[in-house]
Amino acid sequence: MSWFAAILLPQFPLQAALRLRPEAWAEPIAVVEGSTEKGHVLEVTDAAAASGVLRGMVSTQALARCPALRLWSRSAEQEQMLAALLVEMGCAFSSFVEATSAELCLLDLRQVKRGDWKGWAREVVARCAAVELRAQVGLAPNPDLAAIAAKHADPVLVVQHPGAFLADLAISEIDAPPELIAVLRDWGISHLGDLARLPRSELVERLGPAAGLLWERASGRLRRELRLVRPPETFVETFEFEAPIETTEPLLFILRRQLDQLTLRLREAYRVAGQMTLTILLEHRAANYERVFTIPAPTTDAEVLLRILHTHLESLRLEQQPVGVRLLIAPVVGEASQHQLFESALRDPNRFGETLARLAALVGAENVGVVEMEDTHRPDSFRVVAPQFEKLGVRDESAPEEHRALGLPLRRFRPPFPAQVHLQRHLPAQVFSEKAHGEIIDAAGPYRVSGQWWDRAAWAVEEWDVELSDGALYRLAKRVDSWFIEGCYHEGD
Amino acid sequence: MTPESKILRLAELQQALARFPPAAPLPERRWTSGWPALDEGGGLGLAMVTELCAAPAASALFLHEMLGAIQRRREFAALIDGGRTFDPGSHRGPALERLLWVACETPEQGVKTADLLLRDGNLPLVLFNLQALPPRSLGRIPANTWHRFQRLVEKSGTVFLVLTPQPIVEAARVRITLRGAWHLAALQRPRHELVAQLGVQIFHRGRQRVSTVEPLVQTA
Repeated sequence: MSWFAAILLPQFPLQAALRLRPEAWAEPIAVVEGSTEKGHVLEVTDAAAASGVLRGMVSTQALARCPALRLWSRSAEQEQMLAALLVEMGCAFSSFVEATSAELCLLDLRQVKRGDWKGWAREVVARCAAVELRAQVGLAPNPDLAAIAAKHADPVLVVQHPGAFLADLAISEIDAPPELIAVLRDWGISHLGDLARLPRSELVERLGPAAGLLWERASGRLRRELRLVRPPETFVETFEFEAPIETTEPLLFILRRQLDQLTLRLREAYRVAGQMTLTILLEHRAANYERVFTIPAPTTDAEVLLRILHTHLESLRLEQQPVGVRLLIAPVVGEASQHQLFESALRDPNRFGETLARLAALVGAENVGVVEMEDTHRPDSFRVVAPQFEKLGVRDESAPEEHRALGLPLRRFRPPFPAQVHLQRHLPAQVFSEKAHGEIIDAAGPYRVSGQWWDRAAWAVEEWDVELSDGALYRLAKRVDSWFIEGCYHEGD
Repeated sequence: MTPESKILRLAELQQALARFPPAAPLPERRWTSGWPALDEGGGLGLAMVTELCAAPAASALFLHEMLGAIQRRREFAALIDGGRTFDPGSHRGPALERLLWVACETPEQGVKTADLLLRDGNLPLVLFNLQALPPRSLGRIPANTWHRFQRLVEKSGTVFLVLTPQPIVEAARVRITLRGAWHLAALQRPRHELVAQLGVQIFHRGRQRVSTVEPLVQTA
């Protein structure tokens, strides 16, 4: 016998709203369509239902029945994310998956060899529970029957005998044209079993081809192929707060839960987190805060990933209050490389990344990193970039360049000290400045350099190395008509 | 038990202990820089605070040697640049890719940076250059800071070098002094010649001076 499975997420809007808040299931909560003041109740928790709150009620009516009721608006984004997660879970059990609706996906199990289908279905429910999904699973010989079985599952149901299963179900269980159902009711047929007992050809003769289709479904004989989907691998979690938050604690609490879920899913897909994109949803959505984190050593360790986020959030100040958070992880395949025997790499690249973030918060991002010289002759032109020590550690390098540097290294003053320089026969003879002053006994120069003469950023500088009477060695620079002491090679007595 | 009998037992204990020779102290682990004047004098110790007292020019030459060392050893280092005076143009070369540069404006920032880097423990060499900061501000660094750093490097095994204009690091296990004097012509000479002519003295705490390479008073 061929088998199909249906994974159903009952109370879908409520699951989407409460997924990362499992403790909220015990509270009286209702998800409403539209605004919380005037909307209609879509789904309620058991605690709310026990107080008499029903689906379809106006929110004010629901509040009258249960004053402690909390009303949450339906979130399209969270529902979309949950639907994608459901399909992803389905793909973990079969290669042939149909995204029938947001809350339901169908799996073709004809390629799966298994005897204990009930055990298999319980395994699916457990895997869904691990990612905070409350699933019901139905198995049957055809897709539509599996979908009906999932609706009646607690939490699993395997339909071995379709005829017996369908016999007692109401006709309304099957999506059929309402006028057809009305006719059947007039005939006194209210259960699928009654319908299946009628002769098909005579039914079609009287009610048309739609009745034939309904008959096939009622007897569990309808065969159809699934509309297969192959979802892209997106590892994203979105959460919206009940009210805007003011501190980082609730944000970190939710981020931890999101990371737990995401890393679990990554592990199941045999992937590791290579990059994280944190989006903090602000009251005015147009100005959402977004930050991308590259993970130095890709990992699925939620603790490590949270530390990276925590370090960043410690120094983050926002102009608006956050109302939600989205975390997107870009997966990569885990590396399996080994350094050479005499090469050393960082002991803990992720910790190092965290330390760099702390340093950036302490001294400013522009003051931490690896210096990269600009492709110009302009003095003191360099940029500071993020270290790539891990990549450098495994790179084959040529022997170090030695014995090429000349003279003493400069100690550069930033900013340079303005100075007055007196010339004699076109040579600097005396210097006066806050940093140094005195007679110049020896001078080397001028070293004239210039660049970008073709645009507005044109620059030109005339440099001199000078020795003062006290033995100090300085570099002087003349820009336009102004002199500066750029740096010191050696301080005098 | 009478006092006499206690004395007797102490004597027995001393006799018993005499049969066991005292354990030889563990050899100190060293970080070889490839600079003979430094390595032959005991060099840089792992897991200890070392203070380098020198004029800025000598310190800059020392930094040049350290960059060469990390390139040869294929390791990484951090330079905490108090006063933002590091001139990368004077140290061009592939070693710059292995150097984490952290520019600090005040000694307090520098101390916090050093604390973070030593706690991190990923980099085997951390250079803390305080030479460009005003001496009065250096005096405000609490003495216990250096003892705390010593405990941190003992855990991580980091070589921690503090470059100062004059001795201020109480907890330094090793103090290195460099001496040299230069004229303008030195700016045209190969740098390795200038390094070779530096006068190096290395002092180990609790020991006699172990190494002296006499400087040339005038190197150029």
